[in-house]
Amino acid sequence: MSHVNTTVFTIVVALFVLVTGVGFAAGHWRRASDMMHLDEWGLGGRGFGTLITWFLLGGDLYTAYTFIAVPALVFGSGSIGFFAVAYTIMVFPIALIFLPRLWSVSRVHGYVTPADFIRGRYGSRGLALAAAFTGILALMPYIALQLVGIDAVLQVMGVGTTSTNTFVKDLPLIIAFLVLAAFTYFSGLRAPAMIAFIKDTLIYVFVLVAIFYIPTRIGGWGHIFGAAQTHFESINPKTGKPYGTFIPTSKAIGSTQFDFASLALGSAIALFLYPHTITGTLAAKRRTVVKRNMVYLPTYSVLLALIALFGYMAIADPATSASIKKAGGNAQLAVPYLFQHMFPPWFQGIAFAGIIIGALVPAAIMAIAAANLFTRNIFKEFFKPDASPRLQTQMSQWASLVVKIGALLFAIELPKTFSINLQLLGGIWILQLAPMMIGGLFTRWFHRWALLTGWLAGMAYGTIAAYNVSSPTASHWAGSSDIVFGHSVYIGLTAVIINLVVAVVLTLVLKATKVPEGIDETLPHQYTADPEDTPAPAPAGVGLGTAAD
Amino acid sequence: MTQANNKPRSPIAAHPITSAAIAILIAADIFFVLFTPIYARITPKLGNWPFFYWYLLVYMPVTSLALWLTLRLQNRLKQPPQDPATATQEGGVRS
Repeated sequence: MSHVNTTVFTIVVALFVLVTGVGFAAGHWRRASDMMHLDEWGLGGRGFGTLITWFLLGGDLYTAYTFIAVPALVFGSGSIGFFAVAYTIMVFPIALIFLPRLWSVSRVHGYVTPADFIRGRYGSRGLALAAAFTGILALMPYIALQLVGIDAVLQVMGVGTTSTNTFVKDLPLIIAFLVLAAFTYFSGLRAPAMIAFIKDTLIYVFVLVAIFYIPTRIGGWGHIFGAAQTHFESINPKTGKPYGTFIPTSKAIGSTQFDFASLALGSAIALFLYPHTITGTLAAKRRTVVKRNMVYLPTYSVLLALIALFGYMAIADPATSASIKKAGGNAQLAVPYLFQHMFPPWFQGIAFAGIIIGALVPAAIMAIAAANLFTRNIFKEFFKPDASPRLQTQMSQWASLVVKIGALLFAIELPKTFSINLQLLGGIWILQLAPMMIGGLFTRWFHRWALLTGWLAGMAYGTIAAYNVSSPTASHWAGSSDIVFGHSVYIGLTAVIINLVVAVVLTLVLKATKVPEGIDETLPHQYTADPEDTPAPAPAGVGLGTAAD
Repeated sequence: MTQANNKPRSPIAAHPITSAAIAILIAADIFFVLFTPIYARITPKLGNWPFFYWYLLVYMPVTSLALWLTLRLQNRLKQPPQDPATATQEGGVRS
């Protein structure tokens, strides 16, 4: 394992250097007169068309979650891992319901973050603070997941695992991280948008090649599914239960269908509540760009389904299974090892670079989104209300660095048996914004204090429940589902239902007692507005974000 | 706060069938992947692929198609002759 293949290493480093160059150069792409404005640094000038938005949002979807975490869960537990496939199907019809409304109202009022919308809609600084805090908190484990993904690839490459010194051991990860931090600082959202082009080209190539080639090497799809089925139906001597499920079961005990559906639904509602996906959405030029992307993005999900199947290929290939076992059974290594055993070094290099860059792009967008939240909704709101656009941008640049360090701590502290739990933990928290965000986009019925109390209840339940999940290898934070009424259910979904019930009941009470509701600065027609419905074609390079400032 | 569909000339009221079709399309799209008992099975197989796996794979292009159809229907909700006139800087018609 300590042996580093020169060809693989050279190709990965070369592609990494290329991407770094593009990241720094991106700052000049379609450059506006003044980069020191959050619409520019944080939203790429609000001028991205259908194609760039597709790459950018695809970059949010296609992360280390897809390449490392999902196949790891499929490798370790079987069909339950395919909830991610159901989730990436469901997410688009769900998002189509509310996302265009969020885009419109944000464009009209110049909102940069989801918490900006909450502040405008409910006239409540407290509620906006809750939204900002939740957004930043939820992004930490999600960014951490990206780091775990990069780490898995580096480990299989044999980079940085030989030393016992923690710092030396993690040095390559830290270098990759610093480079990411640097170009995010300089280029803002333009950097990940541009790198996404390169990343997706790499990924499309290696996934399509792999999905057709690997089955011919290891005995066809019949053997792959057969091996997976045999494996998951056999009994694990340690636990006395099957290793997993090949098809979600509906048995009275150990049913996974409910778990599967609740994880998929919870994740689907959560995705477009995350600040980074909202950042990608708000950077779109027009309302129709957002809508069209809901039609085109499912083609991305097809690849996600194929990548999930890499988990089964890793089971079907004895050499890959043996390597994973030798590495302490770390399922995160399934995809990197599979590629190492199946492909010549030069192709491994392309694939590994693809995964690493595929983790860096979303990490950059997430850091920008979290930084915008901090600047707009905490720093400006509570500490410096008269902050100039320039100061706000500088603050965001620095905050993006701090966020990344926070994520690094998450990556080191939490158990990594199934890194997918990092994302699901983030999901539990971000889902608690659903009543105020999705609810708020359609109705002003909810009372601000009811929403705040509901949020608090959901956050408290979700965090405590997730903390209490234990496994044979970890005493806390070991999973994302718990048992409710005899069914295993995604904690995030249970928590948001509690949240909603509290919000509804308290709204009725507060309305009856006539507690002041706060001022709503939005108007109904603004939720369907497209300020550019009457197109006056603007030349490329002109900042388009000024319509509502 | 009142919503767009409470306005006197609401596009939903003007096109009840199209609006219903949109709602059904989106609801069905979510339901047929959320309700796992439909597809949590091994047969019928497609080649060597168990039903559960090829169903999910085929579902994606179907989703794309359904949502494309939804957008086409949504465009019909707009009243074409009034579209350019009512769409202003501050707010356009429902789209």
